[in-house]
Amino acid sequence: MSACPGGPVTAAPGPPSRSSRRLVRTVTVVASCLAVLAAAVVIGVRALGQEPTVTLLANWTADDESHFRKAVIEPFERKYHIHVDYQGSNAESQVLGADVEAGTPPDVVVLTGPGELAEYARQKHLVPLEGLVRGADFGTSWATPLADGHVYWFPLKADVKSIVWYPADVGEEQRRQAVEQPARWCVGMGSGATSGWPGTDWIEDILLQQSGPRVYEEWARGDLPWRSPQVRKAWTTWRDLVGADGDPGLVRRALKTPYGEASRPVAASPRGCTLEHQASFIRSKPPWKRVDGRYEPSARLLFGAPANQAWEVSGDLVALLHSTPQAERLIRYLASADAQRAWSVAESGFSVHTGAQPAPGSISPWQRSLAAVLLDKGAVHCFDASDAMPPSVRDAFAEATIEFLADSRHLDALLRSLDTLSDTPGLTWVPSVCDPRP
Amino acid sequence: MSTGRGTKPGSDAGGEPISGTAPISGAAPTPGAAPAPSAGTAPGAGAGVAAGPGVRSRRRTVPADRRAPGRSPRRPLARLLGVGQPPPEGGSTTAHDLAVRHRLLLTLSALLTLSLFLSYQGVHGDANPLRTSSAPAVLSLDTAQYALGQAQKAANSAAPTSDFQRQISVAVESLSAAAADDVGGTGGRQTLQTIAGLITVYAVKVQQSQLQPDGSALREAYLSYATSVLTEEHSGIQARLTALQRQQRHAVQQQTSFGPMMWLVWVVTLLLGLALAAALLETQLFLRRRFRRRFNRQLLGALVLLAGGVVTAVLFTVWTQQGMTDTRVLLDRSLTGRRIPEAGQDTASYLAHTGFRAAAAVWILIGGILLMTLAETGLRRHIADYRFRPR
Repeated sequence: MSACPGGPVTAAPGPPSRSSRRLVRTVTVVASCLAVLAAAVVIGVRALGQEPTVTLLANWTADDESHFRKAVIEPFERKYHIHVDYQGSNAESQVLGADVEAGTPPDVVVLTGPGELAEYARQKHLVPLEGLVRGADFGTSWATPLADGHVYWFPLKADVKSIVWYPADVGEEQRRQAVEQPARWCVGMGSGATSGWPGTDWIEDILLQQSGPRVYEEWARGDLPWRSPQVRKAWTTWRDLVGADGDPGLVRRALKTPYGEASRPVAASPRGCTLEHQASFIRSKPPWKRVDGRYEPSARLLFGAPANQAWEVSGDLVALLHSTPQAERLIRYLASADAQRAWSVAESGFSVHTGAQPAPGSISPWQRSLAAVLLDKGAVHCFDASDAMPPSVRDAFAEATIEFLADSRHLDALLRSLDTLSDTPGLTWVPSVCDPRP
Repeated sequence: MSTGRGTKPGSDAGGEPISGTAPISGAAPTPGAAPAPSAGTAPGAGAGVAAGPGVRSRRRTVPADRRAPGRSPRRPLARLLGVGQPPPEGGSTTAHDLAVRHRLLLTLSALLTLSLFLSYQGVHGDANPLRTSSAPAVLSLDTAQYALGQAQKAANSAAPTSDFQRQISVAVESLSAAAADDVGGTGGRQTLQTIAGLITVYAVKVQQSQLQPDGSALREAYLSYATSVLTEEHSGIQARLTALQRQQRHAVQQQTSFGPMMWLVWVVTLLLGLALAAALLETQLFLRRRFRRRFNRQLLGALVLLAGGVVTAVLFTVWTQQGMTDTRVLLDRSLTGRRIPEAGQDTASYLAHTGFRAAAAVWILIGGILLMTLAETGLRRHIADYRFRPR
């Protein structure tokens, strides 16, 4: 009550104008408060729970995806409170192509092919990484500047491919005998959308070991025809090793078996196969773990020659397509020694980051020796040629290995088609795939 | 109603008896000379205080029977509402009581409006996305999944058939529809793009197999690649679609659930509604006692508005929630074949008119403002009558 205590007072209603003004003011204030409060609560509730997100596309699926999430993504999400929306697919190239064409590319991509990345860089879809990644951490062989002087990718993980795996209880003599028997090879060509790539690895490595890095690089750059004697010899050598024109049952099995299951017979009883020409990552598969897989350089096992210090290698290359603060944060993280170490250890792969090498006692002898191969400055490392080729040539190459394995009589037609395709104007070829010769 | 009869105009109504300490309190205002405020009721008239222009100069005297023997303690409600101290010993409590009720009504109205708006939005805010996006997306994903199953059957046939292409087209179109429905936000869009890419690969591999002679190694090989693209565990098309369906069904469940929090909000809202109704009634009675008015039209209007608004809001909510629950039950399992378009029709009928009902949320805010305006105008003139100022 507003009556004044004490003193004479006058009971008088306030002037009507004042009263109505006050009424209007009160209602206006209350209504405004209500509206603002209601809107704020609704917007707040909807906004709550949303956290910044970065999209990542890679080719790891199933167990590989699970390892990647645990070893790399989850620590990143915990540390930076950024959600990583991961998409893994063995049809990564097709998916990425569709995403880019639709104008909604993922923020970050991990691809195995520098050829494909070079094509995207040429089309200005990639963001240069100079400000985000220290080139010195990887060296120019891995974080290669393109013609425009910019670096667009760096390796998250590296693998050695010029090796043949065998069980620990198989002696040298047995291995020599097994090389000559197609049934002793564990071969699997299946890989969904990218089926056929195990065949390309075979032919690339055979060419590298038979003809050396110079010829290999010429071929990978598109300068050496597919119908050249060296390349043709690599195809026929592979045919003889895996028996492409031999037992139809063997061929059928090789064609239909997914590459990840090719080594299953090695751990079966009786043992179904003994040797597998496959990259270092395959050692993490259960069959090779069970038989304590060891490796031998393919140059020595296949051709009876000492390793000529030329190794086919591959890498999972990280590139930035859409620059956001979150994506840049993820790029920096993936390029860090901690993330590189965590992923390479989880995946039985290797990092070429100079600061991410595991302590000598923490890894097995085969890991130590393969890590040494990757960092050996005296050796020549040649990047997987098909990965470095333009995507259309790469895919045709993989298809050709499937058709060749099914019927090796078609080799001439296949090589002619590949030459025709390679001569197509407008393709982007990577200028160099091998380390400079020492 | 004029109260002055020189007796106890307030006491008979349970109000405060007047003091009769002339000249005003007990005196009946002379008709015409001192028009009694509030339809002839002088403030304090019971208090017998004429507040009209004609009585401004009169010395106001508070009825004796409104004076407490000692200083009145400030009551908790008044303290909560920020109303000033009750009058000192012997002072009239009418203005104070009016102020308490005034603030109580405005506060309850504001709280109820906000609470009703939020609880209404909590249910109806999900109805539109469910009707226009989530439910159709679930059916689109079911359609895509079913079409791909049919396509795989066609792919296994000895000779190429047009049915394979038709089923692939259906799957792709369904995915486009799901993408338009914004399935799973950014992550869902990426997944749909991945699936679309995989479907292309799958179709190409099947076509490659169909170009090979029946029984050849290449035919089997290409078909096995296609099958792995479709059925591979975790990363195949079907596994991704299944994960997306699960995610979308979870979204539908969240949108349609009436969980404990929603119950709590609605119970609070209804309690606030009851409290406001009680306060309006009590104020109505208070005014009748103090001012001898049978009805205060504004407060009566507020009561009708309150009852009508709350009942309408509850009815709309029950109808919408029932439709949403029926939709959830229908979509809770994977549908195949003819059941998919039938489910689409059923869903549309369950969720009919939910858009109109959701749009009514704005009327809650408007109704709340109206409610407060009525409460304000209903009490304002009585309060104005009690505005004292030093001479």
